[in-house]
Amino acid sequence: MYCGLCHILGRRYGQAARFILNYDFTYLAILLSDPEEGNVSGARCYVSPLRQRAYLESSAAMELAADESVILAYWQLRDGVSDHDWFHGLKYRTASAALESAYRKAAAYRPGFDTAVRTQLSRLSDLEKESCSSMDMAADAFAALLGSAAQEVSDPVRRRVLEQLLYHLGRWVYLVDAADDLKKDAASGNYNPVALRFGLTTGSWTADARWEFALSLDHSIRMMATAFELWDFGAWTPILEATIYQGLFQVGKSVLDGTFRTTYRNDERKKRKKVEEST
Amino acid sequence: MNDPYQILGVPETASDEEVKRAYRELARKYHPDNYHDNPLADLAQEKMKDINAAYEQITKMRSGAKSGGYSSAGSSGSYGGYGGYQQQYSSQSSSGSSVLQQVRIAINTGNISRAEALLANYSDHNAEWNFLRGAVCYRRGWMDEAKRYYQTACQMDPGNAEYRQALEFMERGTESAYRPGGQPFGTEVCGGNLCLPLCCLWTLCNGGGYCFFC
Repeated sequence: MYCGLCHILGRRYGQAARFILNYDFTYLAILLSDPEEGNVSGARCYVSPLRQRAYLESSAAMELAADESVILAYWQLRDGVSDHDWFHGLKYRTASAALESAYRKAAAYRPGFDTAVRTQLSRLSDLEKESCSSMDMAADAFAALLGSAAQEVSDPVRRRVLEQLLYHLGRWVYLVDAADDLKKDAASGNYNPVALRFGLTTGSWTADARWEFALSLDHSIRMMATAFELWDFGAWTPILEATIYQGLFQVGKSVLDGTFRTTYRNDERKKRKKVEEST
Repeated sequence: MNDPYQILGVPETASDEEVKRAYRELARKYHPDNYHDNPLADLAQEKMKDINAAYEQITKMRSGAKSGGYSSAGSSGSYGGYGGYQQQYSSQSSSGSSVLQQVRIAINTGNISRAEALLANYSDHNAEWNFLRGAVCYRRGWMDEAKRYYQTACQMDPGNAEYRQALEFMERGTESAYRPGGQPFGTEVCGGNLCLPLCCLWTLCNGGGYCFFC
């Protein structure tokens, strides 16, 4: 899947677009893809010039994932430009310029998704500017953004399932990310919805706040799990099941413990290397 | 109709016991309790209907084969109440307001935007208003606010069982949720095999922390 996406990105958008690929987008493709695994082909590439590597041949679902990934990556970079001053924004500006033509093409393919991403991102930046203290409201913008990735899915049941799953995945990602930035934002004074909601000024948790926050995350995971069980994800079921019923909790816990940044990311890199072979 | 064995995910050669086990696992998964206040509850209900029908069909076929055509089916261990049970609010408003009654109907029919609009125009923010606002938030995925509205409703009317149940549901988190294998799961819960002994040790050392299930 990972290799297949890379090939599509290269073919549809040119070499620059291939560098945006990461595992988040691979998950998006898995969720959007058909229950059966597609045909597998072999090819050499820059990363693996000698040995042929297996990759999934393109399908409509993977094209959708590739288009949406380009749009998300582009706006992520633009967000980086507006968050930094001229000098520090330089690398974001260069990267987004490299992605400019790919983005134009992707936005033309998926105008609905592009509009949804723009709307929610501007909502998010407004909420950040006014220091919104409702973490649900701040998370809602990002959750709705991710949820809209399902809007082009034609089967109505599948669309509802994916919308719900992606909404709560987005909510979870946004909140866990905010929790992960707690210390950093407390030092720099940057907007942090979790700190505002629980009145955490020092960057560390109180027992009550931590309990409340974990409960809120768990209800989102519960919503993901109940949505996941209502659609047959075929060959992808085991990996999604492991993520929803185990992986997310482990990441959430290590972020709350403050061990995520130091140890988890390195472990995760090693683990992901293994996963790459199977996805 | 689809193959009942396929619906239950067992081969035709499965023993009665295996069929029953598969049925129970699926019934636990799609049980209305697991989809309480869930915007996808209607889809789970459909699944539940299929599973009940498939199980009933298999027991009917099997008992028919054994007793030579005479059927005594439908009663052998099926979760009788599951299919027909519906997770709904009573349509009677507890504070006797006709607007809040309409809100309840809107929530029950899945029209969350209407429920939200009606609540926004209702100026008496009594216990029931807070409870219904919480229910709307939960369906929208605003879990933190949902819990806070339920809390307010309970504070304003501590004797009300409906409000208390909603708050308890929020506080239990994933305790009551379905999970393959049946272990509890949660960010602060140790369901994992490796994590369990470590966590218990940690809890003992710390004199009890966030780990409720060890």
